[in-house]
Amino acid sequence: MKRKSVKALICAVMAATLALGALSGCGTGSGTGEKKASENGDASDEDLEVWTTNNGFLAIEHGSETYNLFKELTGVGIVQPYVEWNGGETYKEQLNYRIAANDMPDMFTPVDGMETDLIESGALLDLTDLLPEKAPHLWESIPQEVWDAVKANDPTGNNRIYTIPTVISYGRNGAMIRKDWLDNLGLDMPTTQEEFVEVLRAFKNNDPNGNGVADEIPTGGREEAKWMGQLFGQYGIAMWEGAPQWDIYDGELTYSAVTQNMKDCLEWMSELYKEGLMDPETLLNDKAAWDGKINSGVVGIWEHIPQECYNYAENIYNATGVQPEIAILPAISAPGYEGFYTERQMNGSTFVVANTDDEAKIDKIMAVLDAYGNKDLWMDFYNGVEGMHSEEVDGKLVRLPDDPATMENIYALSPYNNIADLDFQVELLSSQLTPEREWSVSQAITNVQDLQNYVKTYAGDGLPDSIYADYPDIGNRTLYVEYATKIITGEYSIDKFDEFVDRWYESGGEEVTKLAREWYANKTK
Amino acid sequence: MKTAGKRKRQEGSLTLHFRKYFPYYAMMLPGIIYLIMFKYVPMMGSVIAFKDYSVFQGIWGSAWSGLENFKKLFEYPDFYRILRNTIVLGFIKTFLVFPIPLILALMLNELRNAKMKKAIQTIICIPYFISWVVVGGLVFDFFGVGGIFNNVREALGMDTLLVMQKESWFRPVYLISTIWKESGWGTVVYLAAISSIDPSLYESASIDGASRFQKMRYITFPLLVPTALILLLLNIGNFLTLGFDQVYNLYTPMTYSVADIFDTYVFRVGIQEAQYSFATAVGLFQSVVGLIMVVVFNKIANKVSEDGGLW
Repeated sequence: MKRKSVKALICAVMAATLALGALSGCGTGSGTGEKKASENGDASDEDLEVWTTNNGFLAIEHGSETYNLFKELTGVGIVQPYVEWNGGETYKEQLNYRIAANDMPDMFTPVDGMETDLIESGALLDLTDLLPEKAPHLWESIPQEVWDAVKANDPTGNNRIYTIPTVISYGRNGAMIRKDWLDNLGLDMPTTQEEFVEVLRAFKNNDPNGNGVADEIPTGGREEAKWMGQLFGQYGIAMWEGAPQWDIYDGELTYSAVTQNMKDCLEWMSELYKEGLMDPETLLNDKAAWDGKINSGVVGIWEHIPQECYNYAENIYNATGVQPEIAILPAISAPGYEGFYTERQMNGSTFVVANTDDEAKIDKIMAVLDAYGNKDLWMDFYNGVEGMHSEEVDGKLVRLPDDPATMENIYALSPYNNIADLDFQVELLSSQLTPEREWSVSQAITNVQDLQNYVKTYAGDGLPDSIYADYPDIGNRTLYVEYATKIITGEYSIDKFDEFVDRWYESGGEEVTKLAREWYANKTK
Repeated sequence: MKTAGKRKRQEGSLTLHFRKYFPYYAMMLPGIIYLIMFKYVPMMGSVIAFKDYSVFQGIWGSAWSGLENFKKLFEYPDFYRILRNTIVLGFIKTFLVFPIPLILALMLNELRNAKMKKAIQTIICIPYFISWVVVGGLVFDFFGVGGIFNNVREALGMDTLLVMQKESWFRPVYLISTIWKESGWGTVVYLAAISSIDPSLYESASIDGASRFQKMRYITFPLLVPTALILLLLNIGNFLTLGFDQVYNLYTPMTYSVADIFDTYVFRVGIQEAQYSFATAVGLFQSVVGLIMVVVFNKIANKVSEDGGLW
């Protein structure tokens, strides 16, 4: 009898503990998020948590080497947990969870126009008065007209600054070609579309890499018709990394995906695809697959970031033993069109700051932003931690090749990329010319300068993503990608393009176009 | 047998009953609390389907929006498309894939070599533990330019075929990948049910001269039907909730037209764009349809077999 009641007692106690545990767990979960501090054992309250793009690098933990470097440069401790980027999708999801839990990182990169909602609900810190006063370096290093554009994009209409814009004041993306392949085959650099196609055919059939196997992929790109500016550009289509942009077509600001230019381009692309001049897997390639093909030395022409082409050059060299010569493919014009590579100056926002009343915290954030905008420190931000991100050669630091597995995410604060100008970019690359890497880095220096001859800005630069707020599928370009990819692969004939245009306008394109044109009228007024 | 008599006497008084079986109720308690905490309490959150939910104002602070979110769903230009895809894929998953584990279990049961049986069982179960992300990668590689599928085609003198960007191939790929990944796991339940069949039934059938096939046909199979019906009913509740990860990891923009379902649409529009009210509205819609289908099919199941229904 006694044993039985003991058992019962134990059962009851256990059940009660469990129930209490569950209840109290629920309490904090649905609470207002005030009990925030105690969770991360070692991340001290003094630190700022900063979220940015991370392409697979290690997290920045309290007391780590990168943490110490940032502390030295900005005076503030900065931590960054590892958040998978995955083209921005996983990052966005994770960030949304944190926002939903009322526990935003102190400073973060907003994606896909998420800042609009946050600004409207007062969740972000108003930086308008703080920046000139407490972060003068940053205030100075971004041109006044860009700040004006940021103000004009304030969704509340009050002309306040909530975001630190990403500004690239030169052409960053463009097409590159294996010049050594052209030389091997005795071909000239193509300048017309006809010559371009001839070069593609020669690349496909004449074994330019000389390995005796027809493994060459003349050109291609990535899934969702991304990174194919070498083709879209020929038809004067404003296109940024695969996302159609807004430009003046027939005298009015128009989404470039629904123009005659796009129709003609897709028709041409479907011919190239059919002839096998584009990678058959173009529309299935993810970043890793496509980069892998380029790096293994089988791709002839591709679009990416020429200032980073030394990475491709070195990878190709490591994989094949051939030192490639990568050059800029001049912008080619399709008959009846003016070709160019799209130069996008305003690239959304690098940072927004979580709203807070805590003066000390605001001061810390401003200190970070000030250092971030201070050009004197940019080389230090770039070189990162000696021994991890860079090494000393002949008395000066040079960057080591990126190795995400062993390096912490030095790009957490990368003003040299996010407030970049051409001169600084060239200076930065020139500082990396060690005897060992001169052959590759010098190509990047030549290419980034060469590219500027072929780039063009476009009317819709700086258009806020908020115009898509009520039409997420248009913002996600779901319909465009579906039709474009099917037309390229030949699943749809080009006649289907008109159906796409109609459906696009019907499913919200009409309204979005109206908003975009209003914005443009405001901008040019 | 002695305790049975005792039990009868005490059942009259509820208090006594509770006192007597208190430990058992206490043991049930965590399970019940779990259900309340994680199944019933979150249900109250469904109220945001009727609100314009903002994370900063909280559930109660957000403004009511009536049926706005449902209207938005039904007015979505591709609503018909995602509904059709969901139903087609739901049909494939619920009715075409469903008999496979049953057949597999019957076949496995006929294997006489115990080691062989165990080995096969293990091999067909393993895919269940691989996540769809990985399976998606495997499928893409399998059908890629250098994949086995195209190598075989090449050897047979056929052209390269990129299956993953062909609309017409999506449903077969969906069906086959589902069978490959999940049917092995499904056999476990049936094998358990088979092992609980009274061996004397088989013995007497043998005495009557029944063949192996007849034993399977007239003993094993009929005794598995109630289990099968219950599993089917449980699956039908999820008819419109196919699970997002399989489709998401298998589709490409070229196959959207046959692959885009409620779950992927909600992910794109609701979760990624942080439109929680809308995502909840779609989830609620799916659940209501699921509930209706369970009720209907339960009725049918009760008619088909005596205790075939869930209730």
